[in-house]
Amino acid sequence: SFTMTDKQNIQKSVKIAAGAVVCVESEIRGDVTIGPRTVVHPKARIIAEAGPIVIGEGNLIEEQALIINSYPENITPDSEGVEPKTMTIGINNVFEVGCVSQALKIGDNNVIESKADVGRNVILTSGCIIGAFCQVNTCEVIPDNTVLYGSGCLRRVQTERPQPQTLQLDFLMKILPNYHHLKKTVKASQNPS
Amino acid sequence: METLCPCWVGEHPAEPKPDRVIYLVRGEKKTRSPLSQLYFCRYCSELRSLECVSHEVDSHYCPSCLENMPSAEAKLKKNRCANCFDCPCCMHTLSTRATNIPAPMPDDPTKTTMKKAYYLACGFCRWTSRDVGMADKSVASGGWQEPENPHTQRINKLIEYYQQLAQRERQERDRKKMARRRQCMPMAFSQHTIHVVEKYGLGTRLQRQRAGAPLSSLAGLTLKEGEDQKEIIIEPAQALDEVEPLPEDCYTRPINLPEVTTLRQRLLQPDFQPSGASQLHPKHKHLLMKRSLRCRKCEHNLSKPEFNPTSIKFKIQLVAVSYIPEVRIMSIPNLRYMKESQVLLTLTNPVENLTHVTLVACEEGDPEDVNSTAKVMVPTKELVLAGKDAAADYDELAEPQDFQDDPDVVAFRKSNKIGFFIKVVPQKEGDTDVLVSFKIRHDFRNLAAPIRPNEEAGDATTEAIWLTHHVELSLGPLAP
Repeated sequence: SFTMTDKQNIQKSVKIAAGAVVCVESEIRGDVTIGPRTVVHPKARIIAEAGPIVIGEGNLIEEQALIINSYPENITPDSEGVEPKTMTIGINNVFEVGCVSQALKIGDNNVIESKADVGRNVILTSGCIIGAFCQVNTCEVIPDNTVLYGSGCLRRVQTERPQPQTLQLDFLMKILPNYHHLKKTVKASQNPS
Repeated sequence: METLCPCWVGEHPAEPKPDRVIYLVRGEKKTRSPLSQLYFCRYCSELRSLECVSHEVDSHYCPSCLENMPSAEAKLKKNRCANCFDCPCCMHTLSTRATNIPAPMPDDPTKTTMKKAYYLACGFCRWTSRDVGMADKSVASGGWQEPENPHTQRINKLIEYYQQLAQRERQERDRKKMARRRQCMPMAFSQHTIHVVEKYGLGTRLQRQRAGAPLSSLAGLTLKEGEDQKEIIIEPAQALDEVEPLPEDCYTRPINLPEVTTLRQRLLQPDFQPSGASQLHPKHKHLLMKRSLRCRKCEHNLSKPEFNPTSIKFKIQLVAVSYIPEVRIMSIPNLRYMKESQVLLTLTNPVENLTHVTLVACEEGDPEDVNSTAKVMVPTKELVLAGKDAAADYDELAEPQDFQDDPDVVAFRKSNKIGFFIKVVPQKEGDTDVLVSFKIRHDFRNLAAPIRPNEEAGDATTEAIWLTHHVELSLGPLAP
């Protein structure tokens, strides 16, 4: 028979769609959904503390990247009235090595370069590129096709969005299974009403 | 002198910084710099700083493709590389990327084949040449052109006119000089030294002091003998009464901030100075140059780099650290007003032979001692420094030389370095740094001078001369 704790456990587990390549050395905690054709490198960390994370298709999450849905600083985990917010990540995004992303809403075709730090109140739309080591902790929506670069986080607008890394994804999906064990595909369970 | 920002809160750092110990250079202008930034002319046996040597351009090279360029060619190309471009947005080097585009085959227009198209892209700010509307080129290099300056013709004409004027002025000056000096050129007018800065960049060679001879210049503007000097006439610039009015929506139109260029981006393109980012075209990369330094008194080279841009070595490198013993601060105790404290300094011997060093405190009323804020007592005995032995690290069986150091003076000794104590009594209260100065006198063997054969056969050692340097040490602030 189905107990309440069983249901909660199932909901809080990691759901990996078929076609996604998730290395077993990556750390995925909490309620995380990973779409097809997404590659998660070893030592990447996806942590859903304060709410679920939904990751779309075709994303590339490299080593030591940290995608974390954490509690805001002034709220303790046990306080009441805290609604779990879902972090949504769209398709064809790239999280380069060592980046930290806490943004609740990320659109499509974005690139977060190495060691960049994106805060919780930032919303990335489409085609945005956060340059290497740029720390973005403002409270704003970054418009389409914006590039942030340099130590002062200068900005400029591109005329075209960055290309989706299809070649790289195909290569990785072929090669990674040769060297790493992969996490098993878990279908998203249907919620019994 | 260092000033800390008023928002900086914390303890003062304890690590010695490079400009804590400075040496005085007795040139035309008395400069004080750390020994690492000074040169030593071993022909004059004096310290030289960057301000009392003459700087000469050795060669030009591009920092990204490392291509060497002779000076004449560099001038023609306005000191820019032919192959490399700078990003107009972030000033990094642009790289050429290729994409495959379908293009109709030349033989059969109905079929398409993949052809390579090249565009420029910046790896840092992701600027591409397509952002400005530059079409992709079919060749990897050489296809990119900078836009023409609409005023080029007028500028060239003006330059020609003024160059002719400068030439005429110089000929006049030469004629006057030759009339005064009938004898041969004095020593100072050697072929190498640049004494006369020529106007309008005609060239950097000194003019030959022969009456009537054509003046040679690097840009090839030599007048051949017998050629008539063409009079160049320019029209004077005309001032206009009417100026283009501002657009009507100048105050009401909302600003598109990403489109506005920064001052730096704008001024790096002085021809156009575009205000919109969509008009920023890439410019060719600026060349860098290697320079050689020359002592102004004896005209010997102090520093001459290798010609090859990929090599960082020097053909001639007469830097002060390889000739003069270097004083470094090792540890500073808490300094208190009018209380004597011991400061530990180290002295390193850069040459291979034994060096004797004497320290002398500055006398009262010494004109070189202007900055000191504390009294200093230096060791009175002569300090002996062992020569620098390159194999000392590997030779464990070597017997340590016995120097019989006074333990009150010499704290430790390690191959060519000794640590010694000085006593400091700060004389000024307040926030200023404690500054002490003293003279350091050491023997220097000039290996550059020719060995004169002595009357006693077999004695071929070079004579030692004694050099004195004025050293100032900044010991940081008084303890709180």
